[in-house]
Order: sequence, then C-alpha cells, then structure tokens
Amino acid sequence: MKETPSNPEQVVPILQIADFLLVPIQIDLDDKTVSRLQEQLLKEIERTRAKAVILDVRTVEIIDSYISYTLSETAAMARLMGCRTILCGIRPAVALTLAQMGIVLEELNIARDLEHALVLASSS
Amino acid sequence: MDTDKLETLLGNQAHEFDLAVRITKEEDIAVARQMAKQLAQEMGFSLADTTKIATAVSELARNIYRYAKQGRILLRKKNAGKSEPAIEIIAADRGPGIPDVDLVLTKGYTTYERSLGIGLSGVKRLMDSFAIYSEVGKGTVVVAEKRRRRF
Repeated sequence: MKETPSNPEQVVPILQIADFLLVPIQIDLDDKTVSRLQEQLLKEIERTRAKAVILDVRTVEIIDSYISYTLSETAAMARLMGCRTILCGIRPAVALTLAQMGIVLEELNIARDLEHALVLASSS
Repeated sequence: MDTDKLETLLGNQAHEFDLAVRITKEEDIAVARQMAKQLAQEMGFSLADTTKIATAVSELARNIYRYAKQGRILLRKKNAGKSEPAIEIIAADRGPGIPDVDLVLTKGYTTYERSLGIGLSGVKRLMDSFAIYSEVGKGTVVVAEKRRRRF
C-alpha cells in the first residue's frame, strides 16, 4: 500500500492498493471540500489507471442531498474513465436519514464495510 | 399566501432563539449544521434524530445560500422542562421568494443544475412538522420542528 505523493491541494489521502484506490474520508464534507475531492479523485484515477475506487465514509456524520449528488456524479465520471466506485461504511444514522429523505446513491456500489468493499473491488 | 405571517417570521429577533446563524457564504452551511448538531445533542436527541436535524439544517442553509444569497437559520428549544421537548428550526431569507410552493416540494423538482431536487421535500420528510411561507419579491421562511422521542 502506498500513499500518493503528498500535495497541499489534496483534501483527503488517497491510498493506492494494487489497481484500486482507497479514500478514507475523515473530514466534514462541506461544499467546497466535496468538489475538491471530486477533482482530486478524477486526477488520481487518470494518473494511477485505477480499476476501482473505494470511498470509506465510516467517520462522516452528515451526508445531505448535495454531498449525495456530488458523490454520485463523481462515480458517473469515474465510470466514464473505466473505473468503478464503491462506497462503504455508511453509518446507521446517515442511512436512516438518506432513506427517509428518499435519496438514492446512483452509480455507486455500496459495501457494508472496508473488507466487503475490498472483496467487491477485487472481484471485477 | 399569508403575508402577515411571512412578515412576522422575517422580523424574528435573533435573541429570542437559542441559536442564530447568519448565512452569507458557503462555509456558513457547515457552521449551521454543526451548531444544530450540538444543540440537538445537548437536548438529548438520539444520534439518529440529531443526524436528521443537522441534515435538515444543512439543506435549508444551502437553499438560503443558493437562492437568496443570504439569510438566517434560527433554532429554538421548545417545551423546555417537559418530558417531550422539541427543537424548532426557522430558515428565513428576504430573497426572491418561491412562485409555486407546492412545486418545490415535489421530489426531484429543482431549478438548480447541481442538485437532486430533494432538499425541501427531504426536510419535510425528516421533520415532525413543516411549513413554508413565501412570496415573490418578499422572501421565504421555512418553519420545521422535531420532537424528542423516548428511546
């Protein structure tokens, strides 16, 4: 596992494991951050030619409609670059909130946890 | 639309609330939701309901920032001391107003390109009560409430 070169522009660390990328999101996703994350991720997909991206949101406490929209949009963009996006670790309270609002995370594969996500990422 | 009610709500004084956040820039959206989360936690809401309250505030603050550029999120503890306290959320702006309130509550309807169109309808689903007062050229006020449940 190697971390991509550190860059002050990076909002989150992106770890490369074989031919996929692991992105542990451990910060509050405000609107600017989530857009920068999208940009950063697409660049890394291009650079590393990753087959899959795993977004780990285990520590993210709030996912609202805009964050959902941007994550789905990012996954659609990644798909156009030949890369799958797997989201894992959605907290129960966040799952309740998203479901109650009627938000569907399109384009994203959902995994229970990181282990499950790694299995999905390797199985393609 | 009830113009008097809209005016009264737009004139709400910040000091009458437990928390008031002015929304003037994008960063204020995250500030508003963090402060809402803190207040809900203090009031003893469950983690699930705290998350719903903070998410609702996030949606309302973003709507203010997007459509009205500026406005306020006001939060108040209600029924203090009773077994079932509630949190009241008021989102108020003197922005362009909404021509068709029923339409914006339709899931999937949006005038903003980067959006799911779920903001307001989502807030309504997350809360126990929800009312919207709006008039074109005057502004918009959303009043929502969430009661604390025993758990």
